[in-house]
Amino acid sequence: MKFQKSIFALLLAAVALPTLANDIVPGAKQSAPILLKGGTLHTASQGVLENSDLLMVDGKIAAIGSNLTAPADAKVIDVTGKHLYPGLIALANQLGLIEIEAVRATDDTNEVTDTNPDLRARIAYNADSEVIPTVRANGFSYSLVYPKGSALMGQSSLMQLDAWNWQDATVADGVGLHINWPSASVAGNWWNKKKAEDLAKENAKRLQQVKDYFVQAKAYVDAEAAGLNKGVDSRWQAMIPVFKGERPLFVHADDIRQIKQAMLLAKEYQLKLVIVGGRDSWRMADELAAAKVAVIFTAPYGIPERDDEANNTAFKTPALLQKAGVQFALSLDGYWDTRNVVFGAGQAISYGLTPEQALASVTINAATIAGVESQIGSLDVGKAASVVVSDGDIFDYLTHKIRYMWIDGRAVDLNNRNQQLHDKYKQRPAG
Amino acid sequence: MTPFRLSLLSAAIVCSIAPSFADQTSPVYGIRDKTPNLLAFTNATVHTEPGKTLENATVLVVDGKISAVGSSAVPAGYRKIDATGHHLYAGFIDAYSNYGVEKAADEKAFEFGGKPVYQNSRKGGNASNGAIHAEQQWVNSFVPSAEDAKTYQQQGFTAVQSARLDGIFRGQSFVASLANGMPGELILKANGPQFMAFGKGSSKQSYPSSLMGSIALIRQTLSDANWYRAAYGKQDQLQSRQPVEFNAALSALTNLEQSGLVFETSDDRALLRVDSLLKEFNVKNAALLGSGYEYSRVADIKNTGRTVIVPVAYPAAPAVANIDDQLDVSLADLRHWERAPTNLAVMAKAGVPFALTTHALEKKDQFWPNLRLAMKHGLTAEQALAGLTTVPAKLVGLPEQLGKIAVGYQADLVIAKGDLFAEGEIVATWTRGQEQQFKPLQPVEFAGTYAVDLAGKALTLELSGTGDKLSGKLKQADKHSELKNVSQKQQQLQFTVDLAAANAGTGVLQFQGVLDGNLLSGQWLLPSGQTQKVMLSKQAATAKALDKKADVVDTKLVSMLTFPNRAFGTQLAQGRQNAHIKNATVWTSDKAGKLENTDVIVKDGKFSKIGQNLSTPSGYQVIDATGMHLTAGIIDEHSHIAIEAGVNEGTDAVTSEVQIGDVLNPEDINIYRGLAGGTTTAQLLHGSANPIGGQAQVIQLRWGVTPEQLKFKDAPPSIKFALGENVKQANWGEDFTSRYPQSRIGVETTIRDAFQAAKEYKAAFAAYDDLSRGNKDKVAPPRRDFRLQALVEILDKQRYVHTHSYVASEILMLIHLADEVGFKIHTFTHILEGYKVADEMAKHGASASSFADWWAYKMEVQDAIPTNTCLMADRGVMVSINSDSPDLQRRLNQEAAKSVKYCGMSEIDALNMVTINPAKQLNIQDKVGSVTEGKQADFVLWTHHPLSVYAQAKQTWIDGIRYYDQERDAQVAAQVVAEKQLLMQKVLGAADSAKKGSGGAVKKDDPIWHCEDNGDWLHAKFSQDQVQHQHSAH
Repeated sequence: MKFQKSIFALLLAAVALPTLANDIVPGAKQSAPILLKGGTLHTASQGVLENSDLLMVDGKIAAIGSNLTAPADAKVIDVTGKHLYPGLIALANQLGLIEIEAVRATDDTNEVTDTNPDLRARIAYNADSEVIPTVRANGFSYSLVYPKGSALMGQSSLMQLDAWNWQDATVADGVGLHINWPSASVAGNWWNKKKAEDLAKENAKRLQQVKDYFVQAKAYVDAEAAGLNKGVDSRWQAMIPVFKGERPLFVHADDIRQIKQAMLLAKEYQLKLVIVGGRDSWRMADELAAAKVAVIFTAPYGIPERDDEANNTAFKTPALLQKAGVQFALSLDGYWDTRNVVFGAGQAISYGLTPEQALASVTINAATIAGVESQIGSLDVGKAASVVVSDGDIFDYLTHKIRYMWIDGRAVDLNNRNQQLHDKYKQRPAG
Repeated sequence: MTPFRLSLLSAAIVCSIAPSFADQTSPVYGIRDKTPNLLAFTNATVHTEPGKTLENATVLVVDGKISAVGSSAVPAGYRKIDATGHHLYAGFIDAYSNYGVEKAADEKAFEFGGKPVYQNSRKGGNASNGAIHAEQQWVNSFVPSAEDAKTYQQQGFTAVQSARLDGIFRGQSFVASLANGMPGELILKANGPQFMAFGKGSSKQSYPSSLMGSIALIRQTLSDANWYRAAYGKQDQLQSRQPVEFNAALSALTNLEQSGLVFETSDDRALLRVDSLLKEFNVKNAALLGSGYEYSRVADIKNTGRTVIVPVAYPAAPAVANIDDQLDVSLADLRHWERAPTNLAVMAKAGVPFALTTHALEKKDQFWPNLRLAMKHGLTAEQALAGLTTVPAKLVGLPEQLGKIAVGYQADLVIAKGDLFAEGEIVATWTRGQEQQFKPLQPVEFAGTYAVDLAGKALTLELSGTGDKLSGKLKQADKHSELKNVSQKQQQLQFTVDLAAANAGTGVLQFQGVLDGNLLSGQWLLPSGQTQKVMLSKQAATAKALDKKADVVDTKLVSMLTFPNRAFGTQLAQGRQNAHIKNATVWTSDKAGKLENTDVIVKDGKFSKIGQNLSTPSGYQVIDATGMHLTAGIIDEHSHIAIEAGVNEGTDAVTSEVQIGDVLNPEDINIYRGLAGGTTTAQLLHGSANPIGGQAQVIQLRWGVTPEQLKFKDAPPSIKFALGENVKQANWGEDFTSRYPQSRIGVETTIRDAFQAAKEYKAAFAAYDDLSRGNKDKVAPPRRDFRLQALVEILDKQRYVHTHSYVASEILMLIHLADEVGFKIHTFTHILEGYKVADEMAKHGASASSFADWWAYKMEVQDAIPTNTCLMADRGVMVSINSDSPDLQRRLNQEAAKSVKYCGMSEIDALNMVTINPAKQLNIQDKVGSVTEGKQADFVLWTHHPLSVYAQAKQTWIDGIRYYDQERDAQVAAQVVAEKQLLMQKVLGAADSAKKGSGGAVKKDDPIWHCEDNGDWLHAKFSQDQVQHQHSAH
């Protein structure tokens, strides 16, 4: 087997702070300018800039252009032939909230009751999770984590993935209120023997329950504004920014019926709406675009959920959303598999997205949906110096080789548990 | 009549006159009953048997038997029944019933998460499994029920074959007359066939929890019965060293071929599966209960040569009124709704012998409307009558007594006003000379107009309809008043009428009277309380009140019939094509490596030539593959698609007797989806719930074929082992802590002991073979044990072991154990810590099949790394990548590409991980796995470099047959939408009666199976809950 034995050594040598320690130390604050010379810049905002330089100063992108002059104390890195991207953003997952899915003690995603708008995901975000460095190693610098559950699940937080703890990981807290929308399907199956009409009744009951929560919350919000509340209801208090339109409602829904129901609710209360999941979003892409409802599509590899759907239904969905003008991001709603989101975006290219559109779906569009587009998500002067360098096309397995990552100008160690075990067992004597 | 009989029958005598039978053994209490039973049915249209009719004929009955049929004069002394205008048929026979037998207590079997039950409680000589009731002779529990009998008789049935419908081996049925009487008198046949099914009914025992477990249990039990015949009464010298146990269940099955059996099936797949299972044991005397799906595989069903007992229950139309809810409706269900009523006509046309049953109907009175609907679709009266009489008579073994109107036959008669197979109506059945009348043969006709003079006012009384439907009005000029409280009893009539509405005064007028000829004489009770005698004369029958307009039945079919009969099914069997693929980049997966600008010639299902600028043989299809890549078909070492009703028989630590090959489901859409991702071959493995699981099956992803054609021909047998968290039930919940083993330590001893048992088992057979003929007769032969048999095959190197495994310790354990016991681990599957012990694996000669990058989801995958493939390969282990999921099976090329990304594996080596390497692991490398001249033409044409994220499979071929084509797929997807729309239009336009359904079930897809899916799927599929659900569906 022609196995490139030297690649790991190269990789380790290339990172700014190589370490063989069992844990990985977060990058230190940028102390000197860094000039990346001669790369292909996939800006996500102004197309592709060939043979360009990018200057990072004090954690920000200070300049972009050809033949930039390096400041006196700058560290210059030749990235000729390499590809530069904004740090990738994965939306809506449990990264850092679960370490080992099957071990309950390591899972901090779920609360009891279905009215938890006051839960904040970031509290449980474990910056020392062994999983996070493996996701970074594939180009991801940011993740929007949210609490799971039923109905009103809680608030998401946008985290940067190279931190000492959740405090310094937090980019934005209270990004959105997440709702697990009640099921709308009436399809039975042979192990769930409920009749269609019974399922419909259950669905209607749960939907009414969610609507009732909004009635209660609105009553609280209105009374609060009038100074009539006699105490604090932590749950409804947390929904004030949602009713004010300051915080979007992230509705986790795949079925067209759920999405329609959520849109009606959003219209009734004038809420900003984001659909998470969105398997059926292509069936109503024009309506979503017209109502300016964004979609986090979490099934780029999705297998059809209905008997009669074509195998490639989910694969084609991003291009259909793009065509209709829906603002969307691509993601996977999991944790360890977040590292594969970039390849899901790659597959979407073969089903109709342009590479620029695919890149936007994991950078600037994702940043916009999370409300941080002025800070991150594209290679633009003034934005955070969060940059990823790949040997080649970041979306394809054959060319995806992450060489460097900076978050806010801090060099990120790309080592991880997978790599460490690899390195250890490379050394096992032949036996 | 004895007092006893009076009490038994008093509830039943409504419109029936019951002659007594000689009660031969009870003492007579009181005065003897000597009422004669001499009957003459005259002037009837007599259907003596299917296709034979006598007009204006007489049937004579003496003592419950037919004594004459024809035109003979009625002898003196016979009770005459004038059947003018009526048709007589032989009484119908329902060969699948539970009449007269108490239902099993509705006990739930174990539920998901419920406490497992490993042992059956033993009583007498019952079987070791709670779903086996073979020793039951239901005739001994028979209690006739006049009430239940009536529901059959109203439909014309006069005899049933019956047993309790509970469990797998359900016990011996009996044939009984539906007449009233002492049970013993009514038995026509005490020893009917054994009833069987796959569902375990009320058994609380965990085993079997899967369909393959049920089949394995049947196989073992049938084998045991053969053994028991030879062994009972002898010493089991070679195995248990005890006398052979008394086992009533096995004893009852020793004469199965004589008694026969009736096997209940749930769909066409099940029917064909039962047939092959029975053929293994050469069981010829078997009938099958059908499902209504026979039309979809009618040629194959015809080929079984079995008689099918067919329900005439139809499914409700899928709900399509709500536009968004149409998403939940599948094309398959719509098609079945349209075609279920054609089932009998299709079977008749194909020549499948069938009997009809009322089984599966929500209500028995749906039988005739449904049968008539089948006739509108082409079933003839003669075929229907045969299915009700002669065919079941033969089936129940009483063709000389039942099923015909002929001398010497039982006097079981159906009397219908008019032709029953047209618009006729059953008015009475006679069972052994007992009358069960539902309507008078010559009803009193009140309908007509009567002139009424009421206090000088000239009014008209209009009556219409008959019996319960009799109604009328009192009219005066343009005013009228509806009659209320209308009650007709034979010739007597009563009603009330409000006078004001007819402008005939005030108050309510009451009438009571008697009709004699055309004269209705009686009295008015006036509102004042006075009575007034009255004699009314019927003037003329008013135009017969129009029956409710019959629903129009659209018999034109708009649905397609495909294989499988669902979206994306194929209309015709797909054939081989000879093809010249030009100018592709060919990834051979053999020594030739990657070849640019290369042509491939496919001939008769094989790669016949590979080279540059080849000339096209005449008649060959040319495919210009410029810019495209051609690889061998993708092979998946670890898959759970196309498996029906349970992937695990996790109810015991060792279940090597169960076979995935028994439960193949060629209708699984994931076959087609796999093809769309370039996968052509997969090993379907048992799950990982136990250390020694079931036997695997290698398949080719041929879409539109039978289960047998799905199997990879001559692939060597293999089996699934498993280690670690799943087998020690680490994540199964609190209830699952009692089965041995609960630790990795116990897994070792479990496997060692199982192999020791297999060695001893093998030795017992060898010892028996060595005995002299005379000594062989003295001892019981060893008992065939399919569980141990599979382990012997492993020891004999006839069966390859694929073992689910994760952590280094357990991998080393199994290698040591295998070396000690004397078997080989062929492939470690999952093997996520294989990189830690790669040298040991290589030394043992084991290969590895890994996930590309899965990790972190449970404790034992915490050290999984995406460079596992490279590290193992580097130490000389042959590595493949598997899917273990229908999702990943659609992009195994991408999964292989991850080794290029994570550890720089060469592209050729990476592709080999999903082509030639898994072919070697399945021992089919001589036939498939590479693009090599002479090998089977399994290949994929890709749009891009096959390891690129941008690559899509354009075409996927197996054996020279193009099973997937991207362009065709797009066309079919559009057709699916169009056909669905046509069918939904048909549903929306159909009459309510056509939408309502009568109990027919529709097939539902299995869930996507995972290694760890454990639970009582057998119970879930066949439980009563579901039956209740079906019965209330509409």
